[in-house]
Amino acid sequence: MKLYLGVDLGSTTSKAVLVDGDEHVVGRGITNTRSNYDVAVEIARRDAMTDARLALALRLLGPDGAAIAEAFWVSADLARLDALRQSCRATAAAIPGEGPRLAPAVDVILARMVDEASQLFNATARSRGSFFRDIVGARFHALAEEQSARAGVDFERVLGVYDRAILDAENQLIDLPFDDVFAAAVAHAGLTGDRRAAALAAGRDAGAATFDVVGFVGTGYGRARLPFPRECIRSEILCHGLGAHAMLPATRTVLDIGGQDTKAIQVDGHGLVTSFQMNDRCAAGCGRYLGYIADELQLGLHELGPLALTSKRPSRITSTCTVFAGTEIRDLLAVGEKREDVLSGLHRAIITRAMSLLARSGGVTDQLTFTGGVARNQAAVNALDDMVRTHYGPRTINVHADSIYTGALGAALFARRGVPAEDLPDAKECAGCNA
Amino acid sequence: MQRLTTCGIDVGSSAIKVVILDDDADRGAELRATHLERIRRRAPQAVLAAALRSALATAKVDEGDLAYIASTGDGDVAEGVRTGHFYGMTCHARGGLFLEPRARSVLDVGALWARAIVIDPRARVLASRMTSQCAAGTGQFIENIARYLGVRLDEVGALAMTAARPEPVSGICAVLAETDVINMVSRGISTAEILRGIHESVAIRLVKLLRAAKGGTPVMVTGGLAGNAGLMATLRERLNDSGAETEVLTHPLSAHAGAIGAALWGAFRRRKLAAGSTLTPTALGAAPLTVGG
Repeated sequence: MKLYLGVDLGSTTSKAVLVDGDEHVVGRGITNTRSNYDVAVEIARRDAMTDARLALALRLLGPDGAAIAEAFWVSADLARLDALRQSCRATAAAIPGEGPRLAPAVDVILARMVDEASQLFNATARSRGSFFRDIVGARFHALAEEQSARAGVDFERVLGVYDRAILDAENQLIDLPFDDVFAAAVAHAGLTGDRRAAALAAGRDAGAATFDVVGFVGTGYGRARLPFPRECIRSEILCHGLGAHAMLPATRTVLDIGGQDTKAIQVDGHGLVTSFQMNDRCAAGCGRYLGYIADELQLGLHELGPLALTSKRPSRITSTCTVFAGTEIRDLLAVGEKREDVLSGLHRAIITRAMSLLARSGGVTDQLTFTGGVARNQAAVNALDDMVRTHYGPRTINVHADSIYTGALGAALFARRGVPAEDLPDAKECAGCNA
Repeated sequence: MQRLTTCGIDVGSSAIKVVILDDDADRGAELRATHLERIRRRAPQAVLAAALRSALATAKVDEGDLAYIASTGDGDVAEGVRTGHFYGMTCHARGGLFLEPRARSVLDVGALWARAIVIDPRARVLASRMTSQCAAGTGQFIENIARYLGVRLDEVGALAMTAARPEPVSGICAVLAETDVINMVSRGISTAEILRGIHESVAIRLVKLLRAAKGGTPVMVTGGLAGNAGLMATLRERLNDSGAETEVLTHPLSAHAGAIGAALWGAFRRRKLAAGSTLTPTALGAAPLTVGG
């Protein structure tokens, strides 16, 4: 099968989408962006390829598919956890003097996480937008508190080992042979007899399918730093416009609020950009604004929206700058304003900034499609809906379930529409690869 | 009224400063206690109460014996504690001159704002300039970068000065800087070079502020960042690039200048009130309550 690959290297997440010759999506991959961009892109690409093979196998399997799919990704995470364990051992052992006492304590923590893998990496944890690093980081922290007290080692030192080890483990490319992981998933799902044989056969067929990536386009944050050949790079604006149009053809305006920037894009009936406005110089109005505040309040990013939704009286946040807003909310909370009201006010503030960008790009004349990480936050969606209604009258606001892949899908479509694929990024040349 | 003991409270956005001093009508003022407590995400009222207790204990003074408790900075926090509130600018002018009697400009560099204040020999404010509502290039900005790089805040300045050349950075947002810093690290630029570049950009911002206010020499630097020797060295270099000799001075108590100025104003106002002055409170340096001083 001939496939076309689009990669969106974002500041927070790296996404990969594969489409076939008919422009149908056949696979998706997503991971957290790390300091080594090549590795982030390569992991997203491999996950998209794996996803495509898995989809092929599951189509043949019917009702057994769901259990296998979940077990499959747990098995993949287990392999990553093993790499982290090795890295922790090496890191702890290398600490002069302390090593012999630290290493066993850290290893006990990792062993417990291996035992808990099924609960740690289940579908619920994944669907919250948590990645491997978020899940293991939170769990390690909790277990480290217990274990350092029990083993009489310094909690900070234990965390220090982890902080270094996760960086090493994250920037390693772990080879996950599809057949092996699939077989482990079938065993994990507890299938027996004919059902087991059928599942294994489907897995073998999917593993043997030839996927030939014949076109590639990369897009995303930090134009100058993308690890893609120059002729394979397309602007994020164009990719978001085309991707949003492909998902929802009636889209005429795209609002993308990502981690590091916000874009307001107007598109025509073909998904081609007619005008746009962008803010990438100031964190106010981007996802990082909420991230910074979440850190200030010691909340997880995914907790902000649900809390804000419970508010009946949003506070007025007057600061534009993220840092100033951080101080302002501290003062508001100190004088007794409710946390949910302050958070609701913050969601309104971030959308207020987006509204001025929308206005300058040409307003909202028809259907608006909201994309980027912040579009998954219901409180932000509600605030947008409310303000668009106030300024432009009733409009349809779309949030697609796969909106996080919009840029990568647009890139894959550009690849399908004729970007030569002479020099696709080759895994063997990847700087982060220890092969 | 010959000798008054007063307290000055400066509520900043990252730390609360409390000083207690004796103000003698003939011999001038003498500090009895100085205390600085970083807020670190705690409720500012609780931090203030603790800082005040420490300062009173050091000075061996009962709160009831204080002739005046003067606040500056974020006035709301000190409500219920203070006798009166004073403008941040007049407090830094007075506190800066107390720490350095030759000062003709005061440069207050805090966590969120920087202010250039031009003063006369009696600490009267002749002109001033202040940064905008954006944290790029502020103290909080340096603090964020230090955190991203895993460097202790009290080590950043010295580490920056070990770099042979600064890595140029220009007007980056204090929050988006995290990614810029990650990019620099991934390009193999050393921690010291990054910090040096950051200090250069902050220093250039401060020079612009001083020039805009037309501040004279010597410049007394007050506020929390005066303690960053690397930043002060960079500021001296950038100020004197154009050849005009500008003296840049700091004091170990620079961070307390606002609180010292408040305590001095408190003594001044207490005397005026006792003398049945007809001057309006505002003419005495008092301020209507405004957040941020």
